Amino acid sequence: MTEQPWQVHFKIYRQRSGQKPYIQTLTLAVDPDEYILDAIERIWANHDRTLTYRHACHHSTCGACGMRVNGCEKLACITTIRSVTQNGGNLRIDPLRNFPVVSDLVVDMGDFFLRMNKSGFDSVALSEAACLPYEKPKILMDQAEQVTERLVDCIECGLCISACPAANTDKEYVGPAVLASIQFMYAQNPSQELIDQADHHSGLWRCHSAYECTQVCPSGVDPAWRIMDMRKKVLTDRIKSIFRPRSQEKKNA
Amino acid sequence: MPNQPEANNWPRWFDPRSRSLGTFGFILNRVTALGLTLYLLMHLVALGQLAKGADAYDGFIALVKNPLFKLGELLVIAAGVIHGLNGIRIALNSFGIGVRRQRSTFIALMAVSVLVIAFFAYKMFSEG
Amino acid sequence: MRESLSPKRLEGSGRWLLKIVAGLLIVFFLGLHFVVNHLVAPGGLLTYADVVAYYQNPVVVVMEIAFLIVVISHSFLGLRSILLDLNPSPAVLRFANIALVVIGTAAVIYGTWLALTIASRG
Repeated sequence: MTEQPWQVHFKIYRQRSGQKPYIQTLTLAVDPDEYILDAIERIWANHDRTLTYRHACHHSTCGACGMRVNGCEKLACITTIRSVTQNGGNLRIDPLRNFPVVSDLVVDMGDFFLRMNKSGFDSVALSEAACLPYEKPKILMDQAEQVTERLVDCIECGLCISACPAANTDKEYVGPAVLASIQFMYAQNPSQELIDQADHHSGLWRCHSAYECTQVCPSGVDPAWRIMDMRKKVLTDRIKSIFRPRSQEKKNA
Repeated sequence: MPNQPEANNWPRWFDPRSRSLGTFGFILNRVTALGLTLYLLMHLVALGQLAKGADAYDGFIALVKNPLFKLGELLVIAAGVIHGLNGIRIALNSFGIGVRRQRSTFIALMAVSVLVIAFFAYKMFSEG
Repeated sequence: MRESLSPKRLEGSGRWLLKIVAGLLIVFFLGLHFVVNHLVAPGGLLTYADVVAYYQNPVVVVMEIAFLIVVISHSFLGLRSILLDLNPSPAVLRFANIALVVIGTAAVIYGTWLALTIASRG
């Protein structure tokens, strides 16, 4: 480290279950290139063992350490302190929005995981299918003969749901990640069941095109693109159904 | 405000802090939508003066010719232009068209809005 | 909270598509409105006599009424959409549905009456 350590003023949201939240302030000497999660772990280890937060893999694969850093949704494990504050600056850490707080920075993501599950989300897919249609990596072109699988992009961190204005007021809103998952599964295996999960008042039509989900997604899922693509699919299906004979309608339903 | 989704959180719709450009599009669309709906109802009631005959209507027109009403009228035009152009973007996006260019489309459409609004402002206030 | 996992279908693709189509029609009618306004009555319709003269053309009457229906549909579907963002209880939503249909229909009837009244005064 060639640089002197930075003095950063941490302001951390603290809340015990059911009690009033308060902001804990703490000044820490940090390396500007270390990650937010490193600093939080040191705060826990050296200053306050009661601080609760979620973390596991430390390399943006598990999606556990989503939190709001100076108001913006980030994965704490890959966000450097330099990218969000300055020497002598503030660092406000809040839990994700739009999920009930369990304790401090830990939120209850149970409903979200259940919805992901219901959409049949599969975290491994053929490489071809796992890519967004507009990004066909060269390696796939070269290996056209070879069938490869890979982990899909969504790590179920919930950042998109925290950033979404519609999810702010509608607790039944299916939400960007789940709608993206529905689109992803539908693209591989179209079914009426998936359309029904997306085409209702708390589904696709609650999206108001703020594109915040895509803005904060740490994994390149582009949920907004997937929502719009699913809209196109549902609208096309809907318009076609007007011209479809009734008997066939029943069969598809 | 509570952390979980709740109807009481609605003021947050209009809070652009630490949000990106897309939120401004959303806020503009929602504010103009509410403003235009209010105007629509007021407009219908005001035009009722027509039914009362020439004197009532011409008296009403004389009233709305004062600068304050003209400013209000300009706001309505501005809201209409912004909501209309932004609405075309959202409609196209929803059919999967231009989603990846939504940001630059938004900037371009808002630039057009500014020009159109400036044109109307000039026209309204220069002709007296 | 868990009941939220079984969605109801209160605003599906149909109603949403209607809103978008109505929105696009507004852009069309508003353009037409401005063009016709400037061709038929240069300088705008600023006196009672001008308005009555403008409404003598049956195409104008039909256009204005159609415009009103489209605008009311779009704006009221939009209001309902904003209400749905607030996750209303079924009772509130039922009340809002009735209120929006009643007010919307009343506005269209009132506007049609007004347009026909003015047209008849030529």
